[in-house]
Amino acid sequence: MSLDIKKIPAESFERVHIDSSQAERITKPSLSFWQDAWLRIRKNKGAIASIFILVFIIIMAFVGPMVSPHDAETQTITHANLPPKVQGLEKLGIFDGVGTLAGKEVDLYEMKKVDTYYWFGTDGLGRDMFSRVWEGTQISLLIAFVAAIIDMVIGVAYGGISGYYGGRVDDIMQRVVEILYGIPTLVIVILMLLVMEPGVTAIIIAITLTGWIGMSRIVRGQVLKFKNQEFVLASRTLGASNGRIISKHILPNILGVIIINTMFTIPTAIFFEAFLSFIGLGLQAPDASLGTLINDGYKLIRFQPHILLYPSIVLSLLMIAFNLLGDGLRDAFDPKMKD
Amino acid sequence: MTKYIIRRIVYMFITLFLIASATFFLMKALPGSPISSASKLPPSQLAVVEAKYGLDQPVPVQYAKYMLNLAKGDLGNSFQFKNASVTDLIMNRLGPSVLIGSQGLILGVAIGILLGMIAALRQNTIWDYGSTLIAIIGISIPSFVFATLLQYWLGVKWGLLPVALWKDGWMSSILPSIALAMGPLATASRFIRTEMIEVISSDYITLAKSKGASGFEIAFKHAFRNALIPLITVLGPLAAGLLTGSLVIEQIFAIPGIGEQFVKAIVSNDFSIIMGTTIFYSVFLIVIIFVVDVLYGIVDPRIRLSGGSK
Amino acid sequence: MIIVMNFSEYLKGVILLKNSKFAWLLSLLLVVALFLAACGGDKEEGTETTKDTEDTDATTEEVATDEEQVLNLIMNAEIPTMDSALVTDAVGFDLLNNVNEGLYRLNQDNVAEPAISEGEPTVSEDGLVYTFTLRDANWSDGSPVTANDFEFAWKRAMNPDTASEYGPYMMDGVIKNATAIMEGSMEYTELGVKALDEKTLEVTLEKPTPYFLSLMSFGTFLPQKEEFVTAQGENYAKNSEAVLYNGPFTLANWDGTGLSWQLLKNEEYWDKDTVKLTEINYDVVKEPGTGVNLYSEGQKDKAPLTGEFAMQYAADPELIHESETSVFYFKYNQERLGEKTPLANVNIREAISKAFNKQDLVDVVLANGSVPANYLIPKDFTFDADANDFRDVNGDMAEFNADEAKAAFETGLSELGVSELTIELLNGDTESAKKTGEYLKNQLETNLPGLTVKLKEVPFNVRLDLDTNQDYEMQIAGWGPDYQDPYTFMNLWLTGGGNNQMSYSNPEYDKLVSSSVNELALDPEARWQALADAEKILIDEDFGIGPIYQRGLMHLQKPYVKGIVAHPFGGDYSYKWAYIEGKN
Repeated sequence: MSLDIKKIPAESFERVHIDSSQAERITKPSLSFWQDAWLRIRKNKGAIASIFILVFIIIMAFVGPMVSPHDAETQTITHANLPPKVQGLEKLGIFDGVGTLAGKEVDLYEMKKVDTYYWFGTDGLGRDMFSRVWEGTQISLLIAFVAAIIDMVIGVAYGGISGYYGGRVDDIMQRVVEILYGIPTLVIVILMLLVMEPGVTAIIIAITLTGWIGMSRIVRGQVLKFKNQEFVLASRTLGASNGRIISKHILPNILGVIIINTMFTIPTAIFFEAFLSFIGLGLQAPDASLGTLINDGYKLIRFQPHILLYPSIVLSLLMIAFNLLGDGLRDAFDPKMKD
Repeated sequence: MTKYIIRRIVYMFITLFLIASATFFLMKALPGSPISSASKLPPSQLAVVEAKYGLDQPVPVQYAKYMLNLAKGDLGNSFQFKNASVTDLIMNRLGPSVLIGSQGLILGVAIGILLGMIAALRQNTIWDYGSTLIAIIGISIPSFVFATLLQYWLGVKWGLLPVALWKDGWMSSILPSIALAMGPLATASRFIRTEMIEVISSDYITLAKSKGASGFEIAFKHAFRNALIPLITVLGPLAAGLLTGSLVIEQIFAIPGIGEQFVKAIVSNDFSIIMGTTIFYSVFLIVIIFVVDVLYGIVDPRIRLSGGSK
Repeated sequence: MIIVMNFSEYLKGVILLKNSKFAWLLSLLLVVALFLAACGGDKEEGTETTKDTEDTDATTEEVATDEEQVLNLIMNAEIPTMDSALVTDAVGFDLLNNVNEGLYRLNQDNVAEPAISEGEPTVSEDGLVYTFTLRDANWSDGSPVTANDFEFAWKRAMNPDTASEYGPYMMDGVIKNATAIMEGSMEYTELGVKALDEKTLEVTLEKPTPYFLSLMSFGTFLPQKEEFVTAQGENYAKNSEAVLYNGPFTLANWDGTGLSWQLLKNEEYWDKDTVKLTEINYDVVKEPGTGVNLYSEGQKDKAPLTGEFAMQYAADPELIHESETSVFYFKYNQERLGEKTPLANVNIREAISKAFNKQDLVDVVLANGSVPANYLIPKDFTFDADANDFRDVNGDMAEFNADEAKAAFETGLSELGVSELTIELLNGDTESAKKTGEYLKNQLETNLPGLTVKLKEVPFNVRLDLDTNQDYEMQIAGWGPDYQDPYTFMNLWLTGGGNNQMSYSNPEYDKLVSSSVNELALDPEARWQALADAEKILIDEDFGIGPIYQRGLMHLQKPYVKGIVAHPFGGDYSYKWAYIEGKN
């Protein structure tokens, strides 16, 4: 069955010339790191949805309080603890202002003679939850972003230097980290809150004071892992400078981990703030964050779930979005996943 | 290796000394007196009470005394609990904290690893999203809310498990452990997912695949082990976080643990308990970090423990 | 006792019933219970159906109690110590009151009546020397309680080596030589208390003290057996085995720092026939929600309710609502760190005192049964010989009045020569304190245009520190009584007083208040009037403080729990008369 090659006419063959000038040509369009990432993140539905959710929440955080007919600060004490009621939806039997009072279902709006609408209900002081949730979101995002960025910058720089240079530098830097690590964060936070005027700044500083350590350890671990690998060694052999090795070879490889970790810093920051409210060291009233709103609400979980529900939903959406986006970015940044 | 370990142990003591000193002076800088009725007492009587606790001496003398006692393992006496030594207080409360902490950690990490692997091996499928969702719920519901829900539904409504208190032996530890597990679960699953995906796309896995290794073999024999490495680095902080984080859970479930005691001490300015607990936590942390570093070296042979490439 | 923190709503002791009116409510409950039992009905309906206010002493009647007499309670803090010389907190005083007994004890009507003292003491003509005869009573180890036990305990509390905080605080200016001992000019052994023989105790006072006998029920004045204390040495009161008891119950299974313990009926107690409970089981639960869950699950017989919970249980038949004797008020600091504050202006103080709606605060924000306070001396706390409330003398003062407040504020501003004002409000950092603070800020800013209130929320000890250093402008503070007399509140604002800390000074006030413990001490009527006049000056003329509310407490309590007595000062509750009925 084998074909007899000799029977094929010689003219069927054509001689190919190797054009050495074409050997190095890149057939794909040249893309920068970020363009490439974007191209690939577009394919990730979860990440795209997350971007939309995040943009929506961020916009609402600023627009929400303006859209609401009620101010976040105004206390209308006669309107305290009202469940949500929304125009149009009330006829559908949802958001109709019916709540339980002492075990019975009653229309609280009717009972308290309230003829206005509170879309997310009101809290114990008769303040509009809709405005408060969005203003709380604003503050939470502020705390989270600032804390995450500071953590990232300090953590990457510290961990990177420590891991890359190694030796005595690493040793000294790691001892410093251990000392900071060994002091329970709570003590530092209390001290900060006593030394400084309590508020957003104090909380951000308190969070970042030890928050960057986790990042620095991870970055250090990753740098240690990569710096002895062959491609780095090759680059070094070819005479690349430290700066080039770090920025072109190590950083892209650990970017995924940095981003994932930053995506975790954001919820951690929001949570730490909530935890501070739980033990009574959170934001100073009347400032509110998602954390303090949740903390106010969780005790009422059985009776006035709306006070807990809306801030929790916003918080969860933020978390889901940050995480999915983080995953998407991770995949997109991975230099090994080029197709 | 031995040399490295000895050097690390010496460093650990230096670290501990610095932490103890720093905490001591921080405590001295805090406003408020540890003597609960300080404001009611006339100065002459306040002086008597202060003398009893050694608060009348100059700070350097107090410091020297504290450090000497610390070297002997004596953490001093509590202000809140008259006549009770801080060492006893911590030891009395250690058991429950360690039990729920370790159970929470093991449970959380075990489930976390499982979820993370599923997510990584079935990337971008419903499995992936499902496990991501579980992990996110773990981090987006504050532990105190989650604990309250657990307590109400499993304890009060369905009567499956004790609502609170430390009376029914191991049964009492189940709900608090579950509540504590959510944090580590989320962290572990995220890390495992990230690492697994990275490992799976590496050359040696491709090689193993091309040699015909089964999916199971690849996942557990090749990928899993390498994916564990970064998880080890976060185990230390996770364990420490559990210990401090448990104070919320301990308070909600009325468990006689260290965290619960620590919060009370902070509220009442009980310097001795705050310092004692801080030092205790610190020792714990330092040891954990040390163990993690050693483990890291064992698991990943590419890292040389003597450190420094020069 | 103690400066009451706002969050002691749940930090405060455990359980129920606070004022003397409860005696009849209790009896009412009992009557209804008996009635229902007689009818063969085993379900108890609400108690509000019967309006029978007669026979007020029904609680002492013999009741059929063949049920298990076990009570399960929640505490919100640990026991710091059981040494009566060292105790300073609500939990400690509460337990001491149930496991020990002094010369006097508060009865079900909250009147101090002889306990270890056999009948009333003989008092010398000048009101300075009290001679008590002790009844035959035993310690839990079977040895008799002697006069020396009192002498020893009191002197021990004054001994500088003991470093007691409450001993000197309570005895200063009351027991002879206490002040000199504190100043170090006398030995503690010279305290004016002496055991004449086994059963006779002679107490000499510094000056006539009208409320002395009510002090005798207070924890600091409990006896301690010298032999036992000396033998235990350092270990005394370290755990439940290292204390002796002479009260209705003994403490058991307390390891000194733990979250649970028990009270068991004391078989050596002289009046043990009255005591019906055999066992009280305590668990420390700091989270109110958990307490409610344990209650609904049936593990606990009583649970304290904070505002959020109280609101939802408002219609629950098991809700118990009690008025307490702690009063909360604005402290206006007139001189911060040596510099005059805007609050040195009386019109500004008047404006703030009148500018917030107290009714809304207690109804909506606190919602825990607190009542608006337009006074300093609480309601249902002190009564004259005819059982008239001290409150009836002055009635309400400095009530909410937005118009008057605004007018006063404008006058004040023009006197200060400014058009707007920012005032810092120091506050606690607990949930309910924060909510109260937010509400008050909003009220003041709404009703007083031009005023900005800056909230500063700090932990309790920090607030005390700022208070001691007078480093604040305005703060929400509270005070609970240490004994049953208006003087426990009124002496706070004497010029230069240890708790003044706000540079309030009015010679006339000083004169009236100090006359009540000096020249008028033995003239109850004139004394009453002097104290009332002083209160009026403080609140209605000088607006030295701005009263906010008198705290109330709410609890859930199972209907089968009967006879718990709540006290306005000292230990919070007595279980001597409590019993279980109708549980099965």
